[in-house]
Amino acid sequence: MTDCGCEKALAELEEYLHNELCKEDYDQILEHLAGCGDCEGEARVGIVLTQAVQRACRETAPEELRTQILSIVREDLHSQ
Amino acid sequence: MTVMELSLAAMESSKKPEAPARSSLELRRMFEEQALPFMDQLYAAAMRMTRNPTDASDLVQETYVKAFAAFAGYRQGTNLKAWLYRILTNTFINDYRKNQRNPFQGSIDGMEEWQVGEAISATATTTRSAEAEAIDHLPDSAIKDALQSIPEEFRLAVYFADVEGFSYQEIAEIMKTPVGTVMSRLHRGRQMLRKLLSEYASSGVGR
Repeated sequence: MTDCGCEKALAELEEYLHNELCKEDYDQILEHLAGCGDCEGEARVGIVLTQAVQRACRETAPEELRTQILSIVREDLHSQ
Repeated sequence: MTVMELSLAAMESSKKPEAPARSSLELRRMFEEQALPFMDQLYAAAMRMTRNPTDASDLVQETYVKAFAAFAGYRQGTNLKAWLYRILTNTFINDYRKNQRNPFQGSIDGMEEWQVGEAISATATTTRSAEAEAIDHLPDSAIKDALQSIPEEFRLAVYFADVEGFSYQEIAEIMKTPVGTVMSRLHRGRQMLRKLLSEYASSGVGR
Protein backbone atom coordinates (compact mmCIF):
# COMPACT_ATOMS: atom_id res chain seq x y z
CA MET A 1 0.00 0.00 0.00
CA THR A 2 2.79 2.39 -0.87
CA ASP A 3 1.93 3.48 -4.39
CA CYS A 4 0.12 6.73 -5.10
CA GLY A 5 -3.62 6.59 -4.60
CA CYS A 6 -3.95 4.27 -1.59
CA GLU A 7 -3.99 7.09 0.89
CA LYS A 8 -6.74 8.95 -0.94
CA ALA A 9 -8.69 5.77 -1.64
CA LEU A 10 -8.68 4.67 1.99
CA ALA A 11 -9.46 8.16 3.28
CA GLU A 12 -12.44 8.48 0.97
CA LEU A 13 -13.56 4.85 0.97
CA GLU A 14 -16.55 5.43 3.25
CA GLU A 15 -17.77 8.30 1.10
CA TYR A 16 -17.15 6.21 -1.98
CA LEU A 17 -19.21 3.32 -0.59
CA HIS A 18 -22.03 5.65 0.44
CA ASN A 19 -22.05 7.39 -2.91
CA GLU A 20 -21.15 10.76 -1.44
CA LEU A 21 -18.29 11.65 -3.78
CA CYS A 22 -18.42 13.89 -6.82
CA LYS A 23 -17.99 12.06 -10.11
CA GLU A 24 -14.35 13.01 -10.50
CA ASP A 25 -13.31 11.67 -7.08
CA TYR A 26 -15.54 8.65 -7.50
CA ASP A 27 -13.91 7.73 -10.80
CA GLN A 28 -10.44 8.17 -9.31
CA ILE A 29 -11.22 5.76 -6.47
CA LEU A 30 -12.90 3.34 -8.84
CA GLU A 31 -9.83 3.33 -11.07
CA HIS A 32 -7.51 2.88 -8.10
CA LEU A 33 -9.54 -0.03 -6.71
CA ALA A 34 -9.38 -1.79 -10.07
CA GLY A 35 -5.60 -1.89 -9.86
CA CYS A 36 -4.96 -2.26 -6.13
CA GLY A 37 -5.78 -5.54 -4.43
CA ASP A 38 -5.30 -4.19 -0.91
CA CYS A 39 -7.71 -1.31 -1.31
CA GLU A 40 -10.12 -3.44 -3.29
CA GLY A 41 -10.14 -5.86 -0.35
CA GLU A 42 -10.96 -3.03 2.05
CA ALA A 43 -13.80 -1.93 -0.20
CA ARG A 44 -15.07 -5.49 -0.38
CA VAL A 45 -15.21 -5.75 3.42
CA GLY A 46 -17.06 -2.43 3.52
CA ILE A 47 -19.64 -3.59 1.00
CA VAL A 48 -20.18 -6.92 2.75
CA LEU A 49 -20.62 -5.07 6.04
CA THR A 50 -23.36 -2.90 4.55
CA GLN A 51 -25.09 -5.92 3.01
CA ALA A 52 -24.91 -7.83 6.30
CA VAL A 53 -26.55 -4.97 8.21
CA GLN A 54 -29.26 -4.62 5.56
CA ARG A 55 -30.01 -8.32 5.62
CA ALA A 56 -30.08 -8.57 9.43
CA CYS A 57 -32.30 -5.54 9.98
CA ARG A 58 -35.28 -6.56 7.90
CA GLU A 59 -38.48 -6.58 9.95
CA THR A 60 -42.18 -6.83 9.33
CA ALA A 61 -44.43 -4.70 11.49
CA PRO A 62 -46.86 -6.81 13.53
CA GLU A 63 -50.32 -7.09 11.97
CA GLU A 64 -51.81 -5.73 15.18
CA LEU A 65 -49.82 -2.53 14.84
CA ARG A 66 -50.97 -2.09 11.26
CA THR A 67 -54.59 -2.50 12.32
CA GLN A 68 -54.20 -0.05 15.20
CA ILE A 69 -52.63 2.65 13.07
CA LEU A 70 -55.20 2.23 10.34
CA SER A 71 -58.02 2.53 12.86
CA ILE A 72 -56.45 5.68 14.35
CA VAL A 73 -56.23 7.27 10.91
CA ARG A 74 -59.83 6.36 10.07
CA GLU A 75 -61.23 7.10 13.51
CA ASP A 76 -59.71 10.54 13.36
CA LEU A 77 -61.68 11.19 10.21
CA HIS A 78 -64.95 10.07 11.75
CA SER A 79 -64.48 12.23 14.82
CA GLN A 80 -64.23 15.41 12.75
CA MET B 1 -29.00 30.63 3.92
CA THR B 2 -26.76 27.59 3.91
CA VAL B 3 -27.69 24.45 2.01
CA MET B 4 -28.52 22.81 5.33
CA GLU B 5 -30.87 25.62 6.34
CA LEU B 6 -32.54 25.51 2.97
CA SER B 7 -33.10 21.76 3.24
CA LEU B 8 -34.36 22.14 6.77
CA ALA B 9 -36.72 24.83 5.59
CA ALA B 10 -37.94 22.49 2.90
CA MET B 11 -38.63 19.85 5.52
CA GLU B 12 -40.45 22.30 7.76
CA SER B 13 -43.23 22.19 5.28
CA SER B 14 -45.88 22.77 7.92
CA LYS B 15 -44.97 26.45 7.91
CA LYS B 16 -45.37 26.84 4.19
CA PRO B 17 -48.60 28.32 2.98
CA GLU B 18 -48.40 26.57 -0.41
CA ALA B 19 -50.02 23.32 0.71
CA PRO B 20 -53.48 23.51 -0.83
CA ALA B 21 -56.46 22.98 1.42
CA ARG B 22 -57.63 19.40 1.13
CA SER B 23 -60.62 17.65 2.56
CA SER B 24 -59.92 15.36 5.49
CA LEU B 25 -61.11 12.44 3.41
CA GLU B 26 -58.58 13.28 0.74
CA LEU B 27 -55.81 13.73 3.32
CA ARG B 28 -56.62 10.44 4.96
CA ARG B 29 -56.47 8.66 1.61
CA MET B 30 -53.16 10.32 0.74
CA PHE B 31 -51.73 9.49 4.14
CA GLU B 32 -52.76 5.87 3.86
CA GLU B 33 -51.38 5.62 0.37
CA GLN B 34 -48.10 7.47 0.93
CA ALA B 35 -47.11 7.12 4.58
CA LEU B 36 -48.40 3.71 5.61
CA PRO B 37 -46.14 1.78 3.20
CA PHE B 38 -43.16 2.91 5.32
CA MET B 39 -44.46 1.00 8.34
CA ASP B 40 -42.16 -2.03 8.08
CA GLN B 41 -39.14 0.21 7.62
CA LEU B 42 -40.08 2.48 10.51
CA TYR B 43 -40.74 -0.54 12.68
CA ALA B 44 -37.33 -2.00 11.81
CA ALA B 45 -35.67 1.30 12.75
CA ALA B 46 -37.73 1.45 15.95
CA MET B 47 -36.57 -2.07 16.83
CA ARG B 48 -32.95 -0.93 16.55
CA MET B 49 -33.75 2.10 18.71
CA THR B 50 -35.83 0.55 21.47
CA ARG B 51 -34.49 -3.02 21.26
CA ASN B 52 -37.84 -4.67 21.92
CA PRO B 53 -41.07 -5.27 19.95
CA THR B 54 -43.47 -3.66 22.45
CA ASP B 55 -41.63 -0.35 22.65
CA ALA B 56 -40.97 -0.44 18.92
CA SER B 57 -44.71 -0.80 18.23
CA ASP B 58 -45.52 2.04 20.63
CA LEU B 59 -42.90 4.26 19.03
CA VAL B 60 -44.14 3.59 15.51
CA GLN B 61 -47.75 4.18 16.54
CA GLU B 62 -46.82 7.48 18.16
CA THR B 63 -44.85 8.45 15.08
CA TYR B 64 -47.86 7.83 12.83
CA VAL B 65 -50.21 9.71 15.14
CA LYS B 66 -47.90 12.75 15.04
CA ALA B 67 -47.27 12.43 11.31
CA PHE B 68 -50.98 12.20 10.58
CA ALA B 69 -51.70 15.25 12.72
CA ALA B 70 -49.02 17.21 10.84
CA PHE B 71 -49.77 15.76 7.40
CA ALA B 72 -51.99 18.62 6.25
CA GLY B 73 -48.87 20.79 6.34
CA TYR B 74 -46.61 18.28 4.65
CA ARG B 75 -45.69 19.61 1.25
CA GLN B 76 -46.31 17.05 -1.49
CA GLY B 77 -43.23 16.17 -3.47
CA THR B 78 -40.76 16.77 -0.64
CA ASN B 79 -38.96 13.90 1.03
CA LEU B 80 -41.70 12.04 2.90
CA LYS B 81 -39.45 9.22 4.05
CA ALA B 82 -36.95 11.64 5.65
CA TRP B 83 -39.88 13.58 7.14
CA LEU B 84 -41.25 10.42 8.78
CA TYR B 85 -37.82 9.39 10.04
CA ARG B 86 -37.31 12.78 11.58
CA ILE B 87 -40.59 12.44 13.47
CA LEU B 88 -39.61 8.91 14.54
CA THR B 89 -36.18 10.01 15.76
CA ASN B 90 -37.55 13.10 17.55
CA THR B 91 -40.21 11.03 19.24
CA PHE B 92 -37.65 8.47 20.30
CA ILE B 93 -35.29 11.08 21.75
CA ASN B 94 -37.98 13.19 23.41
CA ASP B 95 -40.24 10.49 24.75
CA TYR B 96 -37.87 7.64 25.41
CA ARG B 97 -34.76 9.55 26.34
CA LYS B 98 -36.03 12.63 28.13
CA ASN B 99 -34.87 11.40 31.50
CA GLN B 100 -31.32 11.26 30.34
CA ARG B 101 -28.99 14.18 30.07
CA ASN B 102 -27.42 12.81 26.94
CA PRO B 103 -30.07 12.56 24.21
CA PHE B 104 -28.33 9.48 22.91
CA GLN B 105 -27.89 6.44 25.07
CA GLY B 106 -24.32 5.47 25.67
CA SER B 107 -21.41 7.51 24.50
CA ILE B 108 -17.87 7.14 23.37
CA ASP B 109 -16.69 7.98 26.90
CA GLY B 110 -18.10 4.76 28.22
CA MET B 111 -16.45 2.64 25.60
CA GLU B 112 -13.66 0.20 26.09
CA GLU B 113 -10.39 1.12 24.45
CA TRP B 114 -10.47 -1.97 22.26
CA GLN B 115 -13.85 -0.99 20.86
CA VAL B 116 -12.66 2.43 19.77
CA GLY B 117 -9.44 1.14 18.22
CA GLU B 118 -8.65 1.92 14.62
CA ALA B 119 -9.61 -0.55 11.92
CA ILE B 120 -7.31 -3.40 11.26
CA SER B 121 -5.22 -1.49 8.75
CA ALA B 122 -2.36 -3.96 8.65
CA THR B 123 -4.58 -6.86 7.65
CA ALA B 124 -3.21 -8.75 4.67
CA THR B 125 -5.19 -9.05 1.46
CA THR B 126 -5.87 -12.75 1.88
CA THR B 127 -7.09 -12.13 5.42
CA ARG B 128 -9.36 -9.38 4.11
CA SER B 129 -11.10 -11.63 1.64
CA ALA B 130 -11.49 -14.19 4.42
CA GLU B 131 -12.90 -11.44 6.62
CA ALA B 132 -15.42 -10.43 3.97
CA GLU B 133 -16.37 -14.06 3.48
CA ALA B 134 -16.79 -14.59 7.22
CA ILE B 135 -18.95 -11.49 7.72
CA ASP B 136 -21.04 -12.56 4.76
CA HIS B 137 -21.81 -15.87 6.44
CA LEU B 138 -22.66 -14.59 9.90
CA PRO B 139 -26.19 -15.23 11.14
CA ASP B 140 -28.52 -12.22 11.38
CA SER B 141 -28.67 -12.59 15.15
CA ALA B 142 -24.91 -11.99 15.42
CA ILE B 143 -25.16 -8.85 13.34
CA LYS B 144 -28.10 -7.52 15.36
CA ASP B 145 -26.25 -8.25 18.61
CA ALA B 146 -23.19 -6.40 17.36
CA LEU B 147 -25.31 -3.43 16.27
CA GLN B 148 -27.07 -3.29 19.62
CA SER B 149 -23.77 -3.27 21.46
CA ILE B 150 -22.41 -0.12 19.84
CA PRO B 151 -23.49 3.25 21.27
CA GLU B 152 -26.75 4.63 19.99
CA GLU B 153 -25.53 7.63 18.01
CA PHE B 154 -23.14 5.39 16.07
CA ARG B 155 -25.73 2.67 15.62
CA LEU B 156 -28.32 5.07 14.25
CA ALA B 157 -25.87 6.70 11.85
CA VAL B 158 -24.95 3.26 10.49
CA TYR B 159 -28.59 2.25 10.32
CA PHE B 160 -29.73 5.38 8.49
CA ALA B 161 -26.88 5.20 5.97
CA ASP B 162 -26.54 1.47 5.37
CA VAL B 163 -30.07 0.19 5.78
CA GLU B 164 -32.13 3.19 4.70
CA GLY B 165 -29.67 4.63 2.24
CA PHE B 166 -30.11 8.19 3.48
CA SER B 167 -27.47 10.68 2.34
CA TYR B 168 -25.15 12.28 4.89
CA GLN B 169 -27.15 15.49 4.53
CA GLU B 170 -30.44 13.71 5.22
CA ILE B 171 -28.96 11.96 8.26
CA ALA B 172 -27.67 15.30 9.54
CA GLU B 173 -31.22 16.66 9.33
CA ILE B 174 -32.79 13.61 10.93
CA MET B 175 -30.28 13.51 13.81
CA LYS B 176 -29.90 17.31 14.00
CA THR B 177 -26.13 17.22 13.82
CA PRO B 178 -23.58 18.70 11.41
CA VAL B 179 -22.66 16.57 8.39
CA GLY B 180 -19.10 16.22 9.75
CA THR B 181 -20.49 14.58 12.88
CA VAL B 182 -22.53 12.19 10.77
CA MET B 183 -19.43 11.23 8.83
CA SER B 184 -17.36 10.52 11.93
CA ARG B 185 -20.17 8.61 13.64
CA LEU B 186 -20.74 6.53 10.57
CA HIS B 187 -17.04 5.85 10.11
CA ARG B 188 -16.43 4.90 13.73
CA GLY B 189 -19.69 3.00 13.98
CA ARG B 190 -18.74 0.86 11.01
CA GLN B 191 -15.25 0.31 12.41
CA MET B 192 -16.68 -0.90 15.72
CA LEU B 193 -19.15 -3.13 13.94
CA ARG B 194 -16.48 -4.61 11.70
CA LYS B 195 -14.26 -5.34 14.66
CA LEU B 196 -17.05 -7.01 16.60
CA LEU B 197 -18.18 -9.08 13.63
CA SER B 198 -14.68 -10.17 12.71
CA GLU B 199 -14.08 -11.25 16.27
CA TYR B 200 -17.38 -13.04 16.33
CA ALA B 201 -16.57 -14.81 13.06
CA SER B 202 -13.07 -15.85 14.17
CA SER B 203 -14.43 -17.17 17.45
CA GLY B 204 -16.26 -19.73 15.36
CA VAL B 205 -19.67 -19.08 16.89
CA GLY B 206 -21.17 -18.21 13.52
CA ARG B 207 -20.14 -21.41 11.82
